[in-house]
Amino acid sequence: MIVDGEHVFPGPREVVWALLQDPEVLSKAMPGAAKLALVGDGAYEGSIRVGVGPVTAAEWKLSVTLEDRVAPEHYVMQVDSKGPIGFTRGSATVDLAEADGGGATRMRYHADLQVGGKVAGVGQRLIDQVAKMMTQRGLNALGGELERRLAEGA
Amino acid sequence: MTRRYVGERVRRNEDHRLLTGHALFVDDVQLPGMLHAAFLRSDHAHALLRGVDVSAALERPGVVAVYTAEDLGDYWCPGPLLVPPPPVEGIVFHEATQVPLAKDKVRHVGEPVAMVVAENRYVAEDALADIVVDYEPLDAVVDLEAALAEGSALVHERFGTNMAARVVQRHGDYRRARDAADVVIARRFLYDRGAAAAMENRAVAAVWDPLGVDLTVWDTTQAPIPIRNGLARMLGLLESQVRVVAPFVGGGFGPKIMMFYPEELLVPWAAMRLGRPVKWTEDRQENFFATTQERGQVHEAEMALDRDGRILGIHDTFLHDCGAYDPYGLTIPINSQCTLLGPYDVPAYHSEFRAVFTNKTIVTPVRGAGRQHGVFVMERLLDIAARELGMDPVEIRRRNYLGAELFPKNFDILYQDFAPLYYDSGNYLPALETAVRMIGYDQLREEQLRLRAEGRRVGVGVVSYIEGTGIGPYEGARVTVDPSGRVRVATGLGTQGQGHYTAFAQIVAEALDVDVERVHVVTGDTREFGWGTGTFASRGAVVAGSACHAAAVKVREKILAMAARVLGAAEEQIDLADGRVAVRGVPERSLSLGELASHANPLRGAVKPGTEPGLEATAYFGPDHGSTASGVHAMVVEVDPETAMVEILRYVVVHDCGRLINPQLVEGQVQGGVAHGIGNAFYEKLVYDEQGQLQNASFMDYLLPTAMDVPRVEMAHMETPAPMNPLGLKGVGEAGAIPAGAAFAQAVEDALSDLGVEITEIPLSPDQLWQLIRAAPGAPLPHLQEARR
Repeated sequence: MIVDGEHVFPGPREVVWALLQDPEVLSKAMPGAAKLALVGDGAYEGSIRVGVGPVTAAEWKLSVTLEDRVAPEHYVMQVDSKGPIGFTRGSATVDLAEADGGGATRMRYHADLQVGGKVAGVGQRLIDQVAKMMTQRGLNALGGELERRLAEGA
Repeated sequence: MTRRYVGERVRRNEDHRLLTGHALFVDDVQLPGMLHAAFLRSDHAHALLRGVDVSAALERPGVVAVYTAEDLGDYWCPGPLLVPPPPVEGIVFHEATQVPLAKDKVRHVGEPVAMVVAENRYVAEDALADIVVDYEPLDAVVDLEAALAEGSALVHERFGTNMAARVVQRHGDYRRARDAADVVIARRFLYDRGAAAAMENRAVAAVWDPLGVDLTVWDTTQAPIPIRNGLARMLGLLESQVRVVAPFVGGGFGPKIMMFYPEELLVPWAAMRLGRPVKWTEDRQENFFATTQERGQVHEAEMALDRDGRILGIHDTFLHDCGAYDPYGLTIPINSQCTLLGPYDVPAYHSEFRAVFTNKTIVTPVRGAGRQHGVFVMERLLDIAARELGMDPVEIRRRNYLGAELFPKNFDILYQDFAPLYYDSGNYLPALETAVRMIGYDQLREEQLRLRAEGRRVGVGVVSYIEGTGIGPYEGARVTVDPSGRVRVATGLGTQGQGHYTAFAQIVAEALDVDVERVHVVTGDTREFGWGTGTFASRGAVVAGSACHAAAVKVREKILAMAARVLGAAEEQIDLADGRVAVRGVPERSLSLGELASHANPLRGAVKPGTEPGLEATAYFGPDHGSTASGVHAMVVEVDPETAMVEILRYVVVHDCGRLINPQLVEGQVQGGVAHGIGNAFYEKLVYDEQGQLQNASFMDYLLPTAMDVPRVEMAHMETPAPMNPLGLKGVGEAGAIPAGAAFAQAVEDALSDLGVEITEIPLSPDQLWQLIRAAPGAPLPHLQEARR
């Protein structure tokens, strides 16, 4: 499964970068009452609850490792999640570019994820939609957090 | 003999029980203290198994036991090779049978990794989620051609290749045929996977009786006797200590053959170990991953013909997908290889296949068992050749049929029963002419033009096929006249809806001249009858039916001998009719069969030396060769080129399965087979991604044809009696499913002939057909041309 897109955050690149590395912020951005903890340099572990169509919401163990980090512009996320109904694994590349003369940040993301097990067999026609929905919600949550930080900083 | 039952439309004996809810299915088995099993299955198509931690599952309240491969000890071993490779010269065969629980590696999604036994299924399923498996994913082997390429990941490392087998069979000299040809047609054909999708999933229940020292297993198997024998061997019991019952089963279609599925081995083992009954019923999800499937093949085929459309030779090279393991040997590709020849005279034939291991669910026969592929390739080549030669597709078939005078016909190549391919009998041309007449072929051709002018695309397809049926090794039956006067028939087959209870009752009732409703048939219980093989290869009615006949004939002889003695007359003077014996011309000197049965089992006096008590006999039947059924399917379709939806307007089947036992049962089998075939042609396809993940593992996404999509088949029966068995029977269980794809392809292509669409792939979906229409060289509709740009 490919999840691909672009999003503009209304804030400077350094602030967005910091936001994207913060496990507390990330866990808020993950749907399904995520728990996420930093367990090493750029390594996070936790869990999320997700259901796909006819597949009941279940707890997925999640591990995320950030690699190839070039602050504040580029990193690759290795994602590995396992649940009773299957797994997803793969990597996502994130690139941040200054936009709007430095006042905003354009994020490009490209994720190539393998989905396996029951969730692949039963949820296929919904997986893309769920992934899009989760991405959108995550970006909205990150945007909200960014605004809060900028307001606090101001 | 006054009663005629064989050949009559006798009402099905079993329907009363089925329709009133009195038929026992495995999931109906409820025993006190019964535990329930659930299986943890691999999410990965190909991965190393680094560890399985079941500690949390064991702590869950209600969990009784959790087993992994390590816990099985000596009981862990690869399953039996059910069909060894045929003795073809130069054959290569790599044996890799499935294991009860994966040990070092998983090889397809759905392969069992651990078994949980709990107080109920809910707890068992919850406990599956407690198990932690450490997988190290490997690249999956999915595509057949890529699997054989250098550097591919290996499903079974020990072979150093993914090639499971290679077989070459030939007769005549294809190269010379090709050199002499006026036309050579070469194409690549694809046939993809589908599910058997039986209404009832698999199920196993087992109870160990420590006092009786025996094990009873209820199993949805098509072959209870081989399962009993295998379980006894593996569990260290005598065959007589194991009773396997295959009660009513909601459809077999092949995958329920004697597979020794992991669940089939582990449920009885756990029941013995735990001392409590254990049951497992497959859910539909599991069925998509864990029950065997069929039909992935890629053919590169060539047909050489003269300018009159006569076949000079065929060259076919194909790959066969056998999935992760090959427990059923090479039955399917051998069937493809042999059935390709069909009813046609093919002077030179070169056929070569490689079977390929992939990280997909295991492949074993599903209704048709490889014959579809052969028929599809042959019929498509004929259609394309006819088009090249400007010949009518019906005419090219007429010109190539084997004449009725050529039977029995021997071939040099080996069939699935390891005997040389052999056509016992056949009469093909009359079936074709009947089908052509029934569908109104000539009128259709005229109407087609008229409709085309109105913008409607109607096409017709007429194809033929043969099916080797009724192979050995043998089946048996015991016929007993009960003192009540009712007759009991026991045979070792499993029954899955075919109507065996009725067909066998008809055969016995006719031989004994009793009311058919007084004949009670028992199948699928090894305690009732313990010798035999099972229901597969369209053989039940032929082989077990012939055994029932033989046993009934023996009982008839006993009846006449006993009646002569009891009634004090010569045997020749005894009349047997309507369930009574009487001295001819002296109606008052008569007895009912029940009374005679009591005489045959006396409490005083002596049973005469050289005779046996009771009116009972057991007999066996084992044919040297199978019997060759054949037929013609004709269908009319209308295709909407904008949506690529296909409506089947008419479907005609002219079928020859030898002498009919019961036309109604035959029609049911053919209608059901056609439904299966239509699904296979246009609806059903198991879609795997490049990582071996099945993408449509539910009936939301895997389309089965519904009653709306399957027309009522118009049928005619030809009866060319089989010379190999006393009743002249041939099998019919798979027939309907075999040529449907080929007929469908021809009809759809015909409907779109002005566009130049060529169909070389089955199953075809509306989506794929739409792509073909879009890419067709002809002149598609203007807005489709638009889409093409």
